[in-house]
Order: sequence, then C-alpha cells, then structure tokens
Amino acid sequence: MVFKNIKIIAVFIGLLLLGISNAFAIEDGAKQVVDKFQSELIAVMKNGKQLGFTGRYDKLYGPVSNSHDLSKIARIVVGKEWEKLSEAQQKKLVDVFSKLSVASYAHNFKDYSGEAFTIDSEEETARGGVVVYAHLSIPNDKDVKFEYHLKDKDKSWRIINIVANGVSDLALKRSEYTSILQREGFDSLIAKINEKIDNYSKL
Amino acid sequence: MNSLHSGNGKILKTSLVLLIGALSLTGCATTTVEHQTIASAADPYEDVNRDIFAFNDTVDSYVAKPISDAYKWVTPQFLQTGIFNFFNNLKNVNVVINDVLQAKFEQSAEDTGRLLVNSTIGLGGLVDVAKDVGLPQNDEDFDQTLAVWGVPKGPYLVMPLLGPTTARGAPSSVLDTAANPASYIGMPIQLVSLLNSRANAQGSLDVVQEGALDPYVFIREGYLQTRDHLASDGKNQASLDVDSELGDNNVATTKTVTDKKVATDSTVAVADNANYNLRLSSADSFGGAARSFDATAKSFENANDKIDQLAKQQKTTKSRKAK
Repeated sequence: MVFKNIKIIAVFIGLLLLGISNAFAIEDGAKQVVDKFQSELIAVMKNGKQLGFTGRYDKLYGPVSNSHDLSKIARIVVGKEWEKLSEAQQKKLVDVFSKLSVASYAHNFKDYSGEAFTIDSEEETARGGVVVYAHLSIPNDKDVKFEYHLKDKDKSWRIINIVANGVSDLALKRSEYTSILQREGFDSLIAKINEKIDNYSKL
Repeated sequence: MNSLHSGNGKILKTSLVLLIGALSLTGCATTTVEHQTIASAADPYEDVNRDIFAFNDTVDSYVAKPISDAYKWVTPQFLQTGIFNFFNNLKNVNVVINDVLQAKFEQSAEDTGRLLVNSTIGLGGLVDVAKDVGLPQNDEDFDQTLAVWGVPKGPYLVMPLLGPTTARGAPSSVLDTAANPASYIGMPIQLVSLLNSRANAQGSLDVVQEGALDPYVFIREGYLQTRDHLASDGKNQASLDVDSELGDNNVATTKTVTDKKVATDSTVAVADNANYNLRLSSADSFGGAARSFDATAKSFENANDKIDQLAKQQKTTKSRKAK
C-alpha cells in the first residue's frame, strides 16, 4: 500500500516535472527561435556574395518561414480588408507576401562586414506573447535596436512583428497594404508586391 | 468712413467664416467616405499632402538628387564625414537648449561637454572625438520638447520642398533653425549644409525606393513612428496598437472587436485634436500651423513651470527606482 502510494506520488512528481520542463521549453523557445534565425541570417550574409540573390533566397526560405508566422502576418497587414477577400485571394496574398518577406531578407542582408546580433532580454506580454529585445552591432555605426514580438503557434514560438529603432514593421506594412487595397484594389496590391520581388532579384 | 470700413470688415469676416465652414463640411464628407484606416486619423489632408509629396519628389529627382550625387562623387569620403561632423556638432547647441527645456539636466551637461570637446579638440567639430570618449550624439529638438510638454502632434503635413512634418513640428522646426548657429553663416556654407543633409538622406531614400509599395504611406508611417519614438525616448511603441490584434487567434470571430478598436482609436485621436483646437478643415492646414505657432508661444510662456514640473516628476521616479 505504502509502495503504491509512493509510486503514485513518484508518477505525479514525474508528471509535474515534465509539465515544468515543458513550460520552460516554451519560455526558452522564443529566445531560441530568434537566436537560431539570427545566426542563420548571419551565416547567409557571410556567404552572401557567392550565393547571389537566388542562392540567398533559397537558403533563407526555410529559416524565414519556420521562424515567422507569415500567414498570420499577411492577415494582419490587410486589417479588416481580409474579410472582404475571397478564399482564393487570401491564399494568393499569403503566397506572394511570404515570397516578398523572404526576398526582402535576401536583398537587405546580402553581405557581411562584421555585423553581430546580440540578444539582450525577453519579456512576456499581457496577451501571452513574448518580446525578445536584441541589437545589431554594425562596425563604425550606431547599434540598431530590434524587438521581436513572438506568438505561440501550435506550441512553438513564431515571430509576428519586428520593431527596429522604434519603427514597427507590422504597423508600417498594415498602413501601406490597407491604403493600397482601399485606393486601388486587390489586383493592384498583388501586382505591386510581385514588382517588388522582381526588383529585389535584379538589384 | 470708419463705420463703412468696419461694416466691410464684418461682411468679409462672415463670408470667410461661411467659406471655411463650407470647406470644412465638404472636407468632413470626403474624409469619412475615403479614409477609413487608423493611420488616416493622423493624416486628414492626405489628398493635398500626396500632391505636395509628388511635387517634392519631382523636384528631388530633377534638382536635388543630381546635385547631391555630384557632391558625393566629387567630395572624398573623409571630407564628407568632416562636413557631416561639422554641421552635426553645431546642431548640439539646439540639443542642449532642448535638454534643459525637457529638464534632462544630466544629459544637457553631457551634451555641453560633447559640444565643447568637439569644437576644440575636434578641430571646430570636423572630428567627432566625443563619440570615442563615450559621449554619444543625442537627438533632441523643439518638436520633442513640445511633445514632452503635452502638446499633441496635430495632423500630418507635407511641406513644399521641406517634406514631412506635423502641425506641431512645423513651428518647432522654425525654432530649431533659429537655434542652430549654421543658420547664421553665409550662403555658400548654407548650400554645403543642404548638400550634406541630402547626401546623408540617400541611404534612407534608397530603402524607401526599394522596399515601399506605397512610398507616401511608407514615409508617413516611418516619420510618425520615429518621431513618437524619439519624443518618448523609446517608451512609445506603435506596435502596442497592433498587439490587440495579435491576440486574436481567430480574426473572423473577433472582427467586430477589431472594428470597435479602430473606431475608438480614431475617436481618441479626433478628441485629442479637438482638445487642442487643432481640428482643422481640409483646406486650412497652413492656418492650422499658424494656430500651432500661437499654441507654441503660449507653451513657452509657461516654460518655467513645465521644467519645474518635469524635474519634480523625474526626481520622484528616480527615488521610486532607488527604493
């Protein structure tokens, strides 16, 4: 009887520990997601010139789509216009938006001159998200402060917004996308995104 | 004669009021229909602003950019850096004034040190010695001071040739110019100052050109967010607005909530403006800037009290932190 009780207690403690370690895994996860993405980015930058745009794009497609929640970002940037889009249009938007996101990384992080990412701290938000504070050190230039806002998606953390020196990428994109949708419509938005991707590949 | 004159004045006044009234009515009608985004609450004159933006862009591509490119091509890098440092150093007179007006006394001492070190050891500001001594360049101006004093930024404006600003930023930049010693140097040096500013903006303009789907909105958002960030010393984040939407895992079911949020946001912004008598019709944005001048002047009359208040606030927050 005593043994049985001990066994139950042991199993219970085991489960508890498992639960705690799981909680820690998620806590650590946010920082790790950002850290992993940043090191993958730096690695691509170091080989940036040899890889060329297409090479960088291919190398970054996995890292970007695994660390960002691109379909959610695409939905947020069009605001309430999302509801007015047909299912096919929504799918199309997520598709071209994902391509544009990877293309802009491939274009903006094309070479390496001693830059380094450092994670400073992380903080939980009231709404169950995590903000990871980091900075990019550039030799002979001011540091760029980054804030990565992450949300839980299927038990893994995904980047949903990046704030660089106080400018929120999500807020900026949302203003642009909703403005274009309202002024010029869906087809024009998709055409403009495709034009950007095309330009990035040529620059 | 006199009475006739005053009679004429009355008629003129009434017709002006009617005219402005009519303009503001049409302004309201179009704004409610056309502009439904959150951002446009801050930009009620988008159509006029876009026209001026297009004009500025044309002037820039045909005049400013070619001259600036030539300047960059002709001038060796070390000289460009020296020129940048020189004008940057002069700007610190304004930074120190605004440090004091915002009751940032420690920072004002550091920035005075920066100005003195660079003006002497730094060969009149050509070399930025202070940076290596651990005195980084701070960014303060009259617009930030007014923000700290609680003056709302008012509507977003695009000025011909001068570019983006707000109803609060426009009069502030006049004060910034007045407090910058570079403004009192002769014409050729003024031109170099302009070239220097344009040449240094090239990097940011390239980002806009390459990355923006709608350059007008991109610059407006970037400008407003950066100014908020600077004025609040990094405490204000545009992302916080978006955070409420991030919480919605299912946008479809919470759509009405989001819509309400949009509505409250714009009402708050409108109320904010109305409080400060900056609720302008779409035609008189420049009149608004003039009114903002008045408000600025009034703010300065109470400057002493403001600085005392801010100093007290900072003391209490510091003592709280110490505890």
